[in-house]
This record gives sequence, structure tokens and C-alpha cells, in this order.
Amino acid sequence: MTTLKIETLDAATATLTLSLDVGLYPRDVLYAAAYVFLDRAYVLLDRQDSRFIVRFRGKRALEEATFRAMAGEFENELLAQALRHQVFDANQRIIEDVVAVAIAGASAGAEPYVGSDAEHPHLVDPGDPADGFVADAAGIGRPWEPEKQGTE
Amino acid sequence: MTASAPDAVTVRFHRSLYTEPAIKEAAETFAELASFAISTDAEHYVVELSAISRDVDGDVVAEFCNFALANSARGQRSSHA
Repeated sequence: MTTLKIETLDAATATLTLSLDVGLYPRDVLYAAAYVFLDRAYVLLDRQDSRFIVRFRGKRALEEATFRAMAGEFENELLAQALRHQVFDANQRIIEDVVAVAIAGASAGAEPYVGSDAEHPHLVDPGDPADGFVADAAGIGRPWEPEKQGTE
Repeated sequence: MTASAPDAVTVRFHRSLYTEPAIKEAAETFAELASFAISTDAEHYVVELSAISRDVDGDVVAEFCNFALANSARGQRSSHA
């Protein structure tokens, strides 16, 4: 049984029409597979009775062999997206739990450190103006242009 | 997709595959390049594009269709989240 059928293929107008039974793949899978092709083709989805219709028009001229390859790629993409869909459904609870824990951890905020200075001494003493960047003993913050010197 | 006069095109989006907000959002995106009138029939959203700009590279109608599809797909995905 052919899951995907090439209905029309016209290299002169760069158009390809595929059809597939609506029961083969969920609609989300069809969306995801079509989405992958949006950068290289214009895609229009339709439905006729019990079949989805997928119309492609190349954004540039393509040969017939390329269109046939595109049909195969689309079928592969349907399969890949169907698997992703299945894996996501199987792991949705785990994913939600992991995200919930991560968000809870981030929203709790970082507690200030209350350990002893002997264990973890401060790198800069905020009470000493000669320490760190406050005094600027090396003159790093002083403008180097002569006209701006003395303005600080 | 059905084409008619050069400056006016009618596009039909199946209602089971495209959402109205997605089509409206795409129409807003392309509002400076064409005029849009959206209506419905039994199975489709019918979009009539007129005053299509000829001053842009690419196919305005086909790009609009791609946007409508991308918006519908994204909307569907976020509604499942």
C-alpha cells in the first residue's frame, strides 16, 4: 500500500501535488512536516473527502527528479515527525516535571551566602577605598583624550 | 489555490487545517502588500486578495499562504502545550 501518492507533478510550473489518507498521520504531524518545506517551497494544504492534499510550488525552477525526491523527503519527514510526536506524548509528563522543577528553582532566587569569612574571604573589601576599583589608583577610568582630561 | 484576474486572487483554506486567527494574522502581516477580504463557505475560509503590490520580489499570494500555514501550525502546537 502506498501511503503517499503523487497526484500531479509538473516541472514546467514547478508544482507537485501529493495526497495521503487522513487516518495515516495526525494533523500535527502533517503541519510539522509541511513546515519543514516552507523555506524552499510554497505549501498549501487542503482536504478532499478522506485525503489530505499537499500542494507544493518550488520557490525556484526544479527538475522532475528533484520533485520526486521532494515527495520522498516529505514522506520521510512525516515518519520522523510522527516518531517525535510519539516520543513527546510518551515523555510529556517527565518533561513537564523537569520544567516545573527548573522554574521553581529559578524563581526561589539565590540565597545570600552566610558562611564565615575565614572559609570564603571577600575578594574586594567594600569598606577599603584603596581596594578593588573604587580608588582607581591605576587611572583606568580617566579619559585618555587631552580635551576630556580633568573633566572627571 | 485558485487564480483569477492578475490583480485579484482567491485562495481557499480548508477549515479543518487552517484557523481563522492564523489567516487574519497573515493578512495583517501582508496588509501593506495587498487588500484582504475573508469570508467562509461550507468547508473553507475564502480569502480574496486584491490590489496586490507588484513592487516586491517574490510571490505575495504564495508567501501569504505560507504564513497562514505557519501560523496555523504554531497555533495548533501552542494549544497543545
